[in-house]
Amino acid sequence: MSQQTDRAEQVKRLQRREGWRRRLPLVPALVFTIVVTQVPFILSLWYSLTEWKIVPPEPRTFIGFGNYVDLLDNRFFREAVWTSVWMTVSAVLLSLLLGTLLAILLDRKFFGQGFVRTLLITPFLIMPVVAGLVWKTQVFNSSFGVLNWLLDSLWFERIEFVTRWPLWSIVSVLVWQWTPFMMLIVLAGLQGQDQSVLEAARVDGASSRAMFFQVTLPQLRPYLELGILLGSIYLIQVFDYVDVITGGGPDSTNVPYFVFQRSIGGGWQFGQASAYSIVVVIASIVIATFGLRVLSNLLEGEKP
Amino acid sequence: MAEVRYENASRIYPGTDIPAVESLNLDIPDGELLVLVGPSGSGKSTALRMLAGLEFVDEGSVYINSEDVTLTPPQDRDIAMVFQNYALYPNMTVQANMGFALKQQGVAKPERAERVQEAARILDLEPYLDRKPKNLSGGQRQRVAMGRAIVRRPQVFLMDEPLSNLDAKLRVQTRTELADLQARLGVTTVYVTHDQVEAMTMGHRVAVLKDGILQQVDRPRTLYSRPVNLFVAGFIGSPAMNLVEVSSEGTDGLRLGSLALPLDEQTAHDLAALDAGDYTVGVRPEHLQLASEGIAGEVTVVEELGSESYVHVTVEHQGGPLLLVVRAEGETMTQRGDNVLISCRGPVHVFAPNGERIGA
Ligand SMILES: Nc1ncnc2c1ncn2[C@@H]1O[C@H](COP(=O)(O)OP(=O)(O)O)[C@@H](O)[C@H]1O
Ligand SMILES: [Mg+2]
Repeated sequence: MSQQTDRAEQVKRLQRREGWRRRLPLVPALVFTIVVTQVPFILSLWYSLTEWKIVPPEPRTFIGFGNYVDLLDNRFFREAVWTSVWMTVSAVLLSLLLGTLLAILLDRKFFGQGFVRTLLITPFLIMPVVAGLVWKTQVFNSSFGVLNWLLDSLWFERIEFVTRWPLWSIVSVLVWQWTPFMMLIVLAGLQGQDQSVLEAARVDGASSRAMFFQVTLPQLRPYLELGILLGSIYLIQVFDYVDVITGGGPDSTNVPYFVFQRSIGGGWQFGQASAYSIVVVIASIVIATFGLRVLSNLLEGEKP
Repeated sequence: MAEVRYENASRIYPGTDIPAVESLNLDIPDGELLVLVGPSGSGKSTALRMLAGLEFVDEGSVYINSEDVTLTPPQDRDIAMVFQNYALYPNMTVQANMGFALKQQGVAKPERAERVQEAARILDLEPYLDRKPKNLSGGQRQRVAMGRAIVRRPQVFLMDEPLSNLDAKLRVQTRTELADLQARLGVTTVYVTHDQVEAMTMGHRVAVLKDGILQQVDRPRTLYSRPVNLFVAGFIGSPAMNLVEVSSEGTDGLRLGSLALPLDEQTAHDLAALDAGDYTVGVRPEHLQLASEGIAGEVTVVEELGSESYVHVTVEHQGGPLLLVVRAEGETMTQRGDNVLISCRGPVHVFAPNGERIGA
């Protein structure tokens, strides 16, 4: 009996040692990550509890949750939150819809398929700032933009898109960039389907429509969820597009841009700005938690 | 119900020159369980999928009930198929899986539930109706796949190696249940397997395929006793037939080593009309026996199965060693290293150099 417990003890010790041997190489990366992300985050947490103005320099004073309480009756912050929500939700859903349609087209075989797929992916490979600039100056611009050239040729009046529809201008660029990402995720889902299940559905008399809605779509669900969550986590933090395309303003200042405005963008209110950014972080963490759960479900589902 | 006919049906996959199924002619009467058997890659699945409409028929035609369905899409053929991996709808419960085809036909919900219930009762699936496929065992999934087929009351059942993912014991048990179910329902069935034992035990008739070409269609007994060529002779039967190359010496008949082989009249007559040359002789293990006279050899292996045993004996034949498998009683006293005598009581199958059977 005691020999058995000894053995169990030994095994446990071996496992512990083996565990450390595997973790050790990760330690430098871990330290680095903590230094560049967690330390600043904890400092932000601390700053968010203070009133701290840099220009003109004032001493930092601790005010507890004052910044967070003020948030609630700050009209500009509430507007920024709504803009963020609208921007994220509409961009994610539209790009997911378009991405799914494209993925369905790409899922069938046709001549030049690889070429078309590469072309469709390219928007995703362009830097956000560049994408924003290109759209602003070549597409939306009232004098040089393609859209206005089109309107002009059709004898319509020119429109300054970015001024008239700032939110939708940004959303169109986001959708343009994120559709390929969604397409790839959905395509992976489509191609991961068991072909014989589709054949079984055909033999069972399903129409193409029934096959898509009753067999394919339910199987795609985890992939769609994954697309939504990854897209949301990224798009809720969008800053560059706003800065380049509209430079802020009603209907286009989202929370990250608002944080920027209140701090290094001219407000110099680091305490307040930190509180805003903490709100964004919390929102992202909430979404990411769901995201990771979906992801792990997806991976588990693949085990036989 | 339905009869099925293949008429010169061929399938050539794009990008290949050799047909996967070549000029298949097959007539399957109503209610028959026909087994397509052959080694892996012989075109069994392709032939079945041509009937299902999942594979194009490049030449020839396929008929169900004397109606040409060559160009009919699968959903309009009124067939049900059981796939090798079962292909259950992963997101649906067992109930929904079995009712899916009825739902597509627009059958009302109460009737659907009733028919699913009935099939579930036949297949002992009632306790599992609300489970998803991933929460079922292999055998249960197999039954759901069967249930999905029988709920529909289709014209034809198609089954592509439906038992190959089960363990050996369950496979044998399910095999008989399946044959029984088919007989009760009386639905014309085409059943694909690579396992010749499964084919022989289940099939009313068995069609043997090799390289996409149909070799022989017959009742299992005929297939066993009158294989039309060397391939069928070697493929059907377990343990396999002893196949030996023998040079005929004109009038003298055929000899296995020193043993004169007893040929039936017709074979001897047909053989006499042919030139001397290299023929292949086939003798099943149960038609050889350990005896007090015959050809001498040494035992190398004894396979003891309890009710019978198979004794592997090396004999001398045309100047070289030759391994023969001989059936003996169970609990035989024979051991490795023993010197034994083997005699042959026939029947003996003789095949020409091109593999064709000689004689009746
Ligand atoms: N989709 C395909 N494309 C090209 N060749 C195929 C395809 N499917 C099967 N084949 C070939 O056709 C032959 C018959 O295949 P199959 O009918 O699956 O054989 P079996 O079911 O008897 O094992 C094989 O040589 C196989 O490689
Ligand atoms: Mg096959």
